[in-house]
Amino acid sequence: MIEQNQIYGIAAVLLFCVGLHGVATRPEMVRKVIALNIMGAGVFLFLISVAWQGARAPADPVPQAMVLTGIVVAVSASAFALGLVRRLAGLAEESAAEHGESPAAPPKEDPK
Amino acid sequence: MIALIFDGVLAVTLVALAWRVLAAPDAFEAVVVFITLGLLMALAWGRLAAPDIALAEAAVGAGLTGVLLLDTLGALPHGSPPAQAAAHAEIRGRGWPARVATGLLATTLGAAVLSLEPRPSLLAGQVSAHLGQSGVSHPVTAVLLNFRGYDTWLELGVLLIAIIGVLALRGSTRLSGETLARPPAVLAWLIRVLTPLILMVAGYLLWLGKHAAGGAFQAGVVLGAAGVLLWLAGWHPVAREWLWKVLWVIGFLGFIAAGLGQLLAGANWLEYPPETAATFILCLELGAAISIGATLAGLFIALHFPPRENLSGGPNERRP
Amino acid sequence: MSMILPVLLPLVGALLAFIGTRRIGAVGAMAFAVATLGASVLLTVELWHGGPQLHMLGGWPAPLGIALVADGLSAMMLLMTAVVGVFISGYALAYFQGEASQRFFWPLWMFLWSGLNALYLSADVFNLYVVLEISGLAAVALAALGGSRPALVAALRYLIAAMVAALAYLFGVALLYAEYGVLDLEALGALAAPGLATTVAIALMMLGLAVKTALFPLHFWLPPAHAAAPAPVSAALSALVIKASFYLMLRLWFGVFDGVVTFGAGQLLGALGAAAILWGSFQALRQRRLKLLIAHSTVGQIGYLFLIFPLVSVPRVDGVSAPWVVEAWAGGMFQVLSHGFAKAALFLAAGVILRATASDQLTSMRDLAGRLPATTFAFALAGVSLIGLPPSGGFVAKWMLLKAIFASGQWWWAPVVVLGSLLTAGYVFMLLRFAFKPANGPLDLKPVSKVMQVIPLLLALIAVLIGLNVEGPLRLLEIGPLTPFLPQGGGR
Repeated sequence: MIEQNQIYGIAAVLLFCVGLHGVATRPEMVRKVIALNIMGAGVFLFLISVAWQGARAPADPVPQAMVLTGIVVAVSASAFALGLVRRLAGLAEESAAEHGESPAAPPKEDPK
Repeated sequence: MIALIFDGVLAVTLVALAWRVLAAPDAFEAVVVFITLGLLMALAWGRLAAPDIALAEAAVGAGLTGVLLLDTLGALPHGSPPAQAAAHAEIRGRGWPARVATGLLATTLGAAVLSLEPRPSLLAGQVSAHLGQSGVSHPVTAVLLNFRGYDTWLELGVLLIAIIGVLALRGSTRLSGETLARPPAVLAWLIRVLTPLILMVAGYLLWLGKHAAGGAFQAGVVLGAAGVLLWLAGWHPVAREWLWKVLWVIGFLGFIAAGLGQLLAGANWLEYPPETAATFILCLELGAAISIGATLAGLFIALHFPPRENLSGGPNERRP
Repeated sequence: MSMILPVLLPLVGALLAFIGTRRIGAVGAMAFAVATLGASVLLTVELWHGGPQLHMLGGWPAPLGIALVADGLSAMMLLMTAVVGVFISGYALAYFQGEASQRFFWPLWMFLWSGLNALYLSADVFNLYVVLEISGLAAVALAALGGSRPALVAALRYLIAAMVAALAYLFGVALLYAEYGVLDLEALGALAAPGLATTVAIALMMLGLAVKTALFPLHFWLPPAHAAAPAPVSAALSALVIKASFYLMLRLWFGVFDGVVTFGAGQLLGALGAAAILWGSFQALRQRRLKLLIAHSTVGQIGYLFLIFPLVSVPRVDGVSAPWVVEAWAGGMFQVLSHGFAKAALFLAAGVILRATASDQLTSMRDLAGRLPATTFAFALAGVSLIGLPPSGGFVAKWMLLKAIFASGQWWWAPVVVLGSLLTAGYVFMLLRFAFKPANGPLDLKPVSKVMQVIPLLLALIAVLIGLNVEGPLRLLEIGPLTPFLPQGGGR
């Protein structure tokens, strides 16, 4: 009989992998940042499922604390990543304006 | 049994939403679905007996991150939807090696997860045993602020690094913001009513963390939301650069003060004597909540508003 | 008490630099940099006389709380970081003089340094995740200080790679906790046993750390990021930051999962290291821009470090390590040290050249030998260590590795080491050739401060002279359970 936390554990694995796939294959930077957050959500879901003790005992507080810390770290890194994306877009606009062109859609994709 | 079916449906929905987030051609749609994913994730965590973490996820993971994403997308010029859809179709065509590799990874990880046997948690037992000496009665708060307070201190450092990094990108530590010169009357009234309410909720959450789900993080996030609201409405109660810096730093500094105090008294770093632990924790949480709120608000404001001064390009080393 | 200082002092310096004015911030941070060197030395001395050090944070014993642990390996990394760090700080004082980015460099650099020190002292796998994120985010923010478009693109790629790596590591930590219920390194080491979840966890963690260490083929993010950053940042990234994740790989592989990792897995890491040596050095040879050349050289030199794994992951006989294990450790750690000093010297010297000539192309380095003799000499000395010529630290490293390779019978690594040195010699001499070419016309060199010219020379000198004392570092390494060289040191 499958346990409640095993269901979410599998979901967590799938989220992690879908996120990783997204980071690797989507060229747009913002999409990569979203994919990273999905990966993070997968890891956090797994940790919460590890913390769950069912009816036997109250939930384990240590993994829950780990997730709380992880959330803060994730939002910090995401904010900075988005800052980089915006700054890159801003640079593209500035240089286009300098050259007298109308700002074309700057490459918000990953120039490989 | 019904519960399991519910969980199964929720789990499948989570994965399906995640797939949709990454497969959607339109970036805005992707973000909206991502926010929905975050909220459902909070629901799942509630099901798994983690209500305070669910709160934090809903507020930060879905809420704040979603807002930052939408804001960024709004600032970027974007291509027309047909062009985006065409780009996506092209991506979906190739790339089967990545899919095979991911599939293999998922299988391996899934097998590992399923191989785990449920066992009673050693650390949970230890936490319960020492909860009385920790100064609080909520286990998660005890872990965060006492047993593993070092992690919390360092994570406040991560927040600081993020805000410094974002400010470095702008080239200026001054937060500016030309917004609504005069907010519409309705908005002004709403702000006037909501702000004290929000502050009360934040204070309550902070105090609640002692014995129930709540604490510095949840309170801090609520404060951050209040800060963003006020700023967007044109009220700049904290306009001085140095005051922002103090607010950002105060949580981190609080931990240093507590740690140093204890070191000089001959104890270990961040070791609180059981009699006064509750006071220590309350003070540290207050500082942490203020810093978290100020930093999250500051991150949004710094990202949203370019600095008033004209940025000089940058570095000494220009690539030829 | 002194165990928390290497973590605390840079943090105070960071706060001072963030809150204070530009000048106070820079000078104050520099003062705390020197203080951190003092604290690192103090800790090493205490370790030397008193054995491994332990500090229970919060007063709670592990595994309930988090412990700070210092052994010989930690002390060696702390010392290297401190010495290189002080030199980088001194250089940065001159480099960022009067620039806007100065007020952001110092807090970020001090946060980075503190994160590195915290990593070397931490004994808790989840705390290590938090610390990895501190150093990672600070490193990316520093890399973005370059401000140019290539710098920002490279920083963004670095950030994404670092985040993926950290999340993979965290998933591994979660699996370990689910399996064993503890986060403390020592407790995990006692409990670790072969199993599916454990193997997957180790693989995830090592994979994440390998990305952070830029091990081939996961090195793609490094050359652009290290090349486009300001010179002091490039030095810190190449000399210090990637060594931190490598240290963690060593600590986990040999300290925690000693009984679980297999000979085959060690060979795999060695093979990737060999590929890194050949690929990185070859790519460096193809570069025509100075900092990119140096960055690719980092990818190559990192490969030597991974030769420790196949040489030491050899089963013990009667509880005694194989005799060549000493030489393998010595070779690897001397490579860590000498590369740290030499690469920092190279990047800082490159910074001088860029300041003077405002060009990154190798071809515009003509007659540098005449105009900037100190810098050219620094290049030459650092090159000596990279190639592995006696008596430099690089020579000791390669010599020890070769001895271990032949003693263990794993002769297939030997051609790689030799070929690596040849390729390295290739690009070092290519670099110097340009510096000694006579100038086409009058050179217009901007003035560069004397401090900025002397520091790379000092670092390169250290890289060369470090090979003269092999005994000292070896004795330092022996302190602690990780590297039981002496037969009576025993196993775990």
